[in-house]
Amino acid sequence: MVITDRGEIATETVTINLGPHHPSTHGVFRMVVTLDGETVVDMVPKFGYLHRGIEKLAEERTYVQTMPLVDRLDYICPMTNEHAFCLAIEKLAGLEVPERAEYIRVIMDELTRIMSHILAAGFLWNELGATFTPMIYAFRQRENLMDLFEMASGARMFHNYIRPGGVVADLPEGWVTQARKVLDTLDRFLDEFDALTAENEIFLVRAIDVGVLPAQLAVNCGISGPVLRASGVRYDVRLAEPYSVYDRFDFEVPIQKHGDVYDRYRQYIAETHQSIRIIRQALDALPEGPVRNEKAKRLRPPVGEAYARIESPKGDLGFYLVSEGGQQPYRCHIRSSCLMNLTALRQMVIGHKIQDLVIIFGSINVTMADIDR
Amino acid sequence: MGFLDTLPVTIMQWVRSALSPYLPVWGSELVVALAKVVLALVVGIMPVIVFTWMERKVLARGQDRFGPNVAGPFGLIVAFADAIKILTKEDVIPAAADKPAFRLAPALILIPALLVIAVIPFGRGAIAADLNVGVLYVIAMGSMTALAVLTASWSSGNKYSLVSAFRAVAQLVSYEVPMAFALLAVVLVSGSLSTVRIVEAQAVPFALTMPIAAAVYFLCALAEANRSPFDLLEGESELVAGFNLEYSGMKFAMVYIGEYLHIFLIGALTTTLFLGGYRGPILPGWFWFFAKSLFVVFVVLWIRTTWPRFRIDQMLDFAWKFLVPLAMANLVVVAVAYKITSDVYMGAGLSLLANLLLLTATVVLLVAWARRSKSRRVRALILGEV
Amino acid sequence: MLGRGMLKGLWVTLRHMMATYTSGPRRFPRRYVSGGVLERPEPDMRGMFTLQYPFERYCMFPRFRGVLAQLRDPENGQPRCTACMACERACPHGVISIVAEGKGKERRPKEYTYNLGRCIFCRLCVEACPFDAIEMTHVYEVTSTTSNQVLNMQDLLELGDAANIHHAGEDWQ
Repeated sequence: MVITDRGEIATETVTINLGPHHPSTHGVFRMVVTLDGETVVDMVPKFGYLHRGIEKLAEERTYVQTMPLVDRLDYICPMTNEHAFCLAIEKLAGLEVPERAEYIRVIMDELTRIMSHILAAGFLWNELGATFTPMIYAFRQRENLMDLFEMASGARMFHNYIRPGGVVADLPEGWVTQARKVLDTLDRFLDEFDALTAENEIFLVRAIDVGVLPAQLAVNCGISGPVLRASGVRYDVRLAEPYSVYDRFDFEVPIQKHGDVYDRYRQYIAETHQSIRIIRQALDALPEGPVRNEKAKRLRPPVGEAYARIESPKGDLGFYLVSEGGQQPYRCHIRSSCLMNLTALRQMVIGHKIQDLVIIFGSINVTMADIDR
Repeated sequence: MGFLDTLPVTIMQWVRSALSPYLPVWGSELVVALAKVVLALVVGIMPVIVFTWMERKVLARGQDRFGPNVAGPFGLIVAFADAIKILTKEDVIPAAADKPAFRLAPALILIPALLVIAVIPFGRGAIAADLNVGVLYVIAMGSMTALAVLTASWSSGNKYSLVSAFRAVAQLVSYEVPMAFALLAVVLVSGSLSTVRIVEAQAVPFALTMPIAAAVYFLCALAEANRSPFDLLEGESELVAGFNLEYSGMKFAMVYIGEYLHIFLIGALTTTLFLGGYRGPILPGWFWFFAKSLFVVFVVLWIRTTWPRFRIDQMLDFAWKFLVPLAMANLVVVAVAYKITSDVYMGAGLSLLANLLLLTATVVLLVAWARRSKSRRVRALILGEV
Repeated sequence: MLGRGMLKGLWVTLRHMMATYTSGPRRFPRRYVSGGVLERPEPDMRGMFTLQYPFERYCMFPRFRGVLAQLRDPENGQPRCTACMACERACPHGVISIVAEGKGKERRPKEYTYNLGRCIFCRLCVEACPFDAIEMTHVYEVTSTTSNQVLNMQDLLELGDAANIHHAGEDWQ
């Protein structure tokens, strides 16, 4: 025991590696954490383990051939990635999208948003230590949603459904009825999930006032999405720069006041309720008509550049495309929402205990595939 | 059912009388003692096997899935399959480990748990050793866990295990204090430290007469056994299995069995001390004992299915700032209630009333404190303002 | 507050435990009945959710994208493929490779190799085919011991015959 000349016991900090293989990081992510006892003194994130070079691969493929790659960007919410990419292409090439296709895109987007938020809430509970039970209840609802996607597009996860100029094919028979049944089940599931989780005292004690993200810091770091709205800033791309037919629907953008883990959890649940509201309105108002712009099949956009962004479930996802007149883009850059959301993690975590670090990282709900591209 | 009820005692008598013509007195006593040891071990470890199966099934059913159902009918062979799997694994000793301590630690975890089986009354007269300091012995054996966990994680030579060891010692040592106070109330009322006398004194089970002590003891036993919601030693989502990270093969099997034996002992001790042990109508005593302890074990698993885990400093706060004063107040209140009258049933009723009053007083005090507190966390926890 | 939230959570879990015995298609006593192809459950089904694969399987939805197959013309039983290379050009990953023979109306693929190890089942090849010669089947059990499992024209024709597809894109109208 070393005693300093002020009479205190000298301690040392420990540097540990919450390494890429870890049961609780959302993907392969490495954090080099310096601990003083149990308290986190410093944290350095190291990512890049999942880099697949999508931006480079996009330069060697046509726009439609890049669509399956773009699907795999943020694999929890594939439809919104496709939608963002198609918005960029449509801006670049000046394509019109039929109205029925717009409504279908909105429905698919919001279903994807529900899928992602349910997963966020479920995984947060997994990291709190609830032995998978809330996660399995949440994943059961995800199965229902993935069945809907399979009926429409043919695959549960990497749908390849939204194309420049519309969607691939119309919704099959019975899809709308099935979707309404799934939404009713989701309402009941959210009530049950609330009963299981929302007032649990252990959760309240662990999540309130933990990992607070002040609103000013969030805006300075470029955070977007539910994390920003949970800190009290009412900013949503669907309101700021409305795309598709979102301006025809009546929905709220909820915000929370404090920006801690509990508020982010409440934000995910509140946004799920709003998404269900939007989908119900869209299903009721679905017009008839074609679903694909036929001119878009042979796509040669003129020379130019375009940037389009949407509100993905993780935040503000943008695609920047530069075209030189050919069938392949000259450059495709992806403004990844998860990467920007990760930059504030260090400030949120310093001063908390190591158990809090795990739930704070879980509450910002990043997908490493979106960060590493 | 008198014959079935006293079956273990009858068996021992028969062994003694069968051997007495051939051996001197000390010889037949020795054989009877050895037979008791073997029987106690079998009866103590069999529930562990049942319990590993039960855990997987109960957790699975809570999650809308089957659990093991392929290995044997209803998955009953799964414990043996697990055992074979663990035994065929390579026994790895890390290079940075402190080898004698590394080898010793699993035994230190398992042996005290096995020793506690000696004072548990499984039925009328069916106890391996009726010590007249039974409860003290149980507390002493429970304290060994802290030393064993510290040895295991220090000798692994691994930073993750070390961080886990710091928490382990703090948690285990802190939760022994309220446990001792809760047990003191039981000992006070029944007038003896011997487990058999405590069971005999429960004309009305102590869970009904002093529910606060029962709840405090249950929570402290959960913490001593590293079980949800106090299982941050083996928090899989944080430090990937904590102190038993480096163990594999037979050593891990010993740690594993020790841990599950601890959980069975929570059930057995709660039954003995608070639920009336082997007392019950019609059916033989050992049946009631196992039924009650399996019910307690089911509650432990049910809790594991549902609740998340605490943070280490919150756990220690809960122990020292809430459970210790509550247990002490409960001790005083129960002592007064039982002193007022001399009739057993009257004393039980008064004690229950006193406990309810204490609970109301606690709630009133907590609400008053929370109303004046500015912390959002406290207000959400106690007043429900989220 | 004060423990009520925790007790509510316990009650929810207990209800799920009881529901696995009392509701749903696997309720007591038909718990472990298994075998065959099952219907997908309704979204609001309570109770046991497990599908005991491989003893039970679900029927895939009509648009499901499984392994590629070559289709025959129903009139004369010949494969429809004319080796126009549209699918080879449309594939993002170079999964299909074709060697053609013949000219004009007799143009046929001499070799048609489909690298199952590289396919991502995106269906761009089927969309590109102008002759409705290929379609995706419902086959998804394609484990193999090599990472480049290659199917040739004969294998693909067999898959197509077994798949009972009347014409390509029939579920995509």
